[in-house]
Amino acid sequence: MKGLVFNIKRFAIHDGPGIRVTVFMKGCPLDCWWCHNPEGKSAQVRNVERIDRVGDREFRSEEAVGRYYTPGEVVAMVERDRVFMEHSGGGVTFSGGEPLLQPDFLVETLAILKKNGIHTAIDTSGFAARETLVSVLPVTDLFLFDIKHIDNELHKQYTGVGNELIISNLDMLIEKGKDVILRIPVIPGVTAGMDYMQRLVRFIGKRNNGSLRRIDLLPYHKTGSSKYRRFGLPDRMAGASQVPDGHIDDYAGLFAQLGIRVKKGG
Amino acid sequence: MKMTERVKRLREQSLQARETISAERAQLVTRFYSDAGARGLSAPVLRARAFEYILRHKSVCINDGELIVGERGPAPKATPTYPEICLHSIRDLDILDSRGKVSFHVDDEVRRIYREEIIPFWEGRSNRDRIMERMTPEWLAAYRAGIFTEFQEQRAPGHTVLGYKMFRTGFLDLKREIAEAVAGLDLRSDPEAFERAEELKAMDIACDAIMMYAGRHADALETMAAGEKDEKRRDELKKMAAVCRRVPAHAPSTFHEILQHYWFIHLGVVTELNPWDSFNPGRLDQHLWPLYSAGISEGTLTAGEAYELLGCFWVKFNNHPAPPKMGVTAQESNTYTDFCLINLGGVKPDGSDAVNGMTYILLDVIKEMRIVQPSSMIQVSRKNPDTFIHSALDIIKTGFGQPSVFNTEAIIGELVRQGKSIVDARNGGASGCVETGAFGTECYWLTGYFNLVKILEVTLNDGYDTRTGVQVGLRTGDPSLFTSFDEFMDAYRRQIRHFADIKIRGNNVIEKTFAAHLPVPFLSLLLDDCIARGKDYNAGGARYNTTYIQGVGLGSITDILTSVRYNIYDTKRYTWSVMLDALNENFDGYEEMQYDLIYNTPRYGNDDDYADAQAVAVFEMFHDAVDGRPTPRGGIHRINMLPTTSHVYFGNVTGATPDGRKAFVPLSEGISPSQGVDHQGPTAVLRSAAKIDHLRTGGTLLNQKFSPEFFDDEENQKKLIALIRGYFSLDGHHIQFNVVSADTLRAAQAHPELYRDLIVRVAGYSDYFNDLGEDLQNEIIRRTEHQDF
Repeated sequence: MKGLVFNIKRFAIHDGPGIRVTVFMKGCPLDCWWCHNPEGKSAQVRNVERIDRVGDREFRSEEAVGRYYTPGEVVAMVERDRVFMEHSGGGVTFSGGEPLLQPDFLVETLAILKKNGIHTAIDTSGFAARETLVSVLPVTDLFLFDIKHIDNELHKQYTGVGNELIISNLDMLIEKGKDVILRIPVIPGVTAGMDYMQRLVRFIGKRNNGSLRRIDLLPYHKTGSSKYRRFGLPDRMAGASQVPDGHIDDYAGLFAQLGIRVKKGG
Repeated sequence: MKMTERVKRLREQSLQARETISAERAQLVTRFYSDAGARGLSAPVLRARAFEYILRHKSVCINDGELIVGERGPAPKATPTYPEICLHSIRDLDILDSRGKVSFHVDDEVRRIYREEIIPFWEGRSNRDRIMERMTPEWLAAYRAGIFTEFQEQRAPGHTVLGYKMFRTGFLDLKREIAEAVAGLDLRSDPEAFERAEELKAMDIACDAIMMYAGRHADALETMAAGEKDEKRRDELKKMAAVCRRVPAHAPSTFHEILQHYWFIHLGVVTELNPWDSFNPGRLDQHLWPLYSAGISEGTLTAGEAYELLGCFWVKFNNHPAPPKMGVTAQESNTYTDFCLINLGGVKPDGSDAVNGMTYILLDVIKEMRIVQPSSMIQVSRKNPDTFIHSALDIIKTGFGQPSVFNTEAIIGELVRQGKSIVDARNGGASGCVETGAFGTECYWLTGYFNLVKILEVTLNDGYDTRTGVQVGLRTGDPSLFTSFDEFMDAYRRQIRHFADIKIRGNNVIEKTFAAHLPVPFLSLLLDDCIARGKDYNAGGARYNTTYIQGVGLGSITDILTSVRYNIYDTKRYTWSVMLDALNENFDGYEEMQYDLIYNTPRYGNDDDYADAQAVAVFEMFHDAVDGRPTPRGGIHRINMLPTTSHVYFGNVTGATPDGRKAFVPLSEGISPSQGVDHQGPTAVLRSAAKIDHLRTGGTLLNQKFSPEFFDDEENQKKLIALIRGYFSLDGHHIQFNVVSADTLRAAQAHPELYRDLIVRVAGYSDYFNDLGEDLQNEIIRRTEHQDF
């Protein structure tokens, strides 16, 4: 069995506690306007142009985005950073794309890592069949769970899918008492704004049973736009500006009343 | 704690002072040697009398408002010369005066004194002349080709650090020790008894000399006090005079005394000769803590007074640029910094956590003083608390490269492997850039950088150096005839061995030369067991003796060897003949190939075992060629891996290489990857770097860059601590951080006038960005550029 991965990032420091290795799985059922990893959308290996410079000359070559790994290969890569994980309370995070799109590979790989004593996390949109999510529960220590938007219509508009399944999956994790970090994208013109954030506070407040470890506010960054060019994709956020730091602080202040730790950035 | 107005003023004066050449010492030593009375003395006694003569006649400098007194020259940054070691010609003085970087102002009076007194006496008689005369043609050819450098060519060996003993011992105590040693001499059965007696006599003279020198300061301070109108300053001057009456004759009994005590010792060492790395108080938090806490608890000292004294003490180091360097020595160590490296933290002699209150006070001093001298480091033991590292990171994040971070357990492991007792090892640390030493008990010389990349270039040319046009190496054959990578590596191994042999033979002659002609009776007083053995520091008197050769360019040579293995033998993508043509043409017309070598070939620093195997292989070759070979003073040759600025010089003498590097571009520094080729993040770099066996070195140097923003986040700092602890659990010896953005550096290069205070980490030390040569500036920008986390 193999999984399609488009990047294995070492010294990942925004994807859960400690120093982590993040495995980016390729393929995603959502189509978020502000996606930072557009290369993770397609579930196919694609070639893109790579440009390197030597002196004044540019060299163009084809580079495959995506590679099939066996669970053993991924485990071996992750194990390389074990000493740093142990010193930092870190571990491995499967992100994407949407890791739950490749459940068999995911469960098998996570099972080995967990058996090896490595802290495991999944960074998910939550858009997955219930039984898929259930299948990873025993091998996952932490969920980084995105709430793209709590309004179903807007969720559909900006991500291509509704949020009913996502919210019910979230509720299931909370009910089972799994460790969850909520990831809140702060997107200008979409989620940025005190009104929405206040709604979100109420939404989260209803679910605050101790399972929610932290709320991460992830401000929109233009870093994706160069990737859009490179992958020849339309940039639907073109022209959006970054959210002022002060606003993020204001939002963080709102969430403080929940008694859950709030973090700016991952 | 806040810097007082006094310290602010002294610091500013130090920063503004211009480096100048002072002819005072040269003139005094010349007059002494010219005197008939100097003839017929044994070498140690001659040197002791010269020392005494200089200290008796040199000017006493007491700067306005200072509390710790004593300058090596007649004024701050007035820098003496050492013609008995190396004589500067008028042309040298002109170069020093006019060169763009690391210049020294030379006035006409200095030139006159040189022309009339110093040059006529020393021409052809300096130790440098003696050394060069004794080196073989092979040595000279290799030296000129840039295969290695020679540390003792313009400076004396030193590289050593004061141990705890001298912080609680006065020179009157040492005189008693000397008397005991003299009484114990056995003239009937010890064939060396006479030499020992002469050495001990010299040491005794040196004791008297340093006490006399302190007394001259006391006299001057009392005279000044008598004429001082300001009552407060008058009291200070009187108190300072009293301090100089007590130390260094007696063991220090107050916080003020211990700082002044060390400073007189420091001045003694750097006046006697111009040893490398000036001198170093070593484990300062350990040495200062007892008298500090006693003073505080007895009510005789306030925290504010102590802090002010430390500020005054710090300024003293900054007042002392490294003695002027010329030629290759300037290129390999192109800085005013003289590498005094204050050690903080680590473990106590019993192995327990040594972090104490003084550790944190000194970190405050370092942070607030923010000057390049003295340099500072923290020793991190697994027994030290994270709070300690955290406090250091708070300084590191401000971007001036201090303190650097060392692994106590690795240092102890290295020292114990070399045969030191566990207690002597725990009392050790690092000096200079990253060099391991047993403080107070070890004489460890660094003898020169060893250009691992140049030797490869020579191997590709069957032992011939194309730049100097000399057959410098062995004829190991035309590389295109090597049928396997192993065969090729064997040729390289033989060349390394060949040049290590040449260097070691040279070292042994130079060691003899120093032992015979330039004993250092004053320095010998400070290191156990020179007195007990009646033997000079330069002749093997110390308890432990080590001689280092420093390997340079590990990242570059690994990439080069990996490229050969991958491109020529494994994938057969290129033939030897194409490779050699491309190198000869400096890749002109071979850009496609150069691109392949750079981007499509495995590189060191990515935790790629294929590439890193060559790092281990070359490390073992170098280690085997050097480690364990005896030296005449009873020492052992060892290796370490650090470059200072020699990676730029070595790059300058080395043509294009199979890693795609163009001719004359700097090599990689320390054990860091080549600039910009690591793309798997810091954990991969650390894993690659930890594949060589650090415990069989006397120090390695690893540079890591982080963007300043990285430190904004408290949690990230915790991750850095884990990164450090992780690397150290893999036996990594040292890591230093450059926390500055490439944009800032580029702006500083374009507008140096706006960035006069910008300090960056170079390689084992920090320096003003403006004081670096352009090559080195560019190299640091390149290594800072690549970061995406």
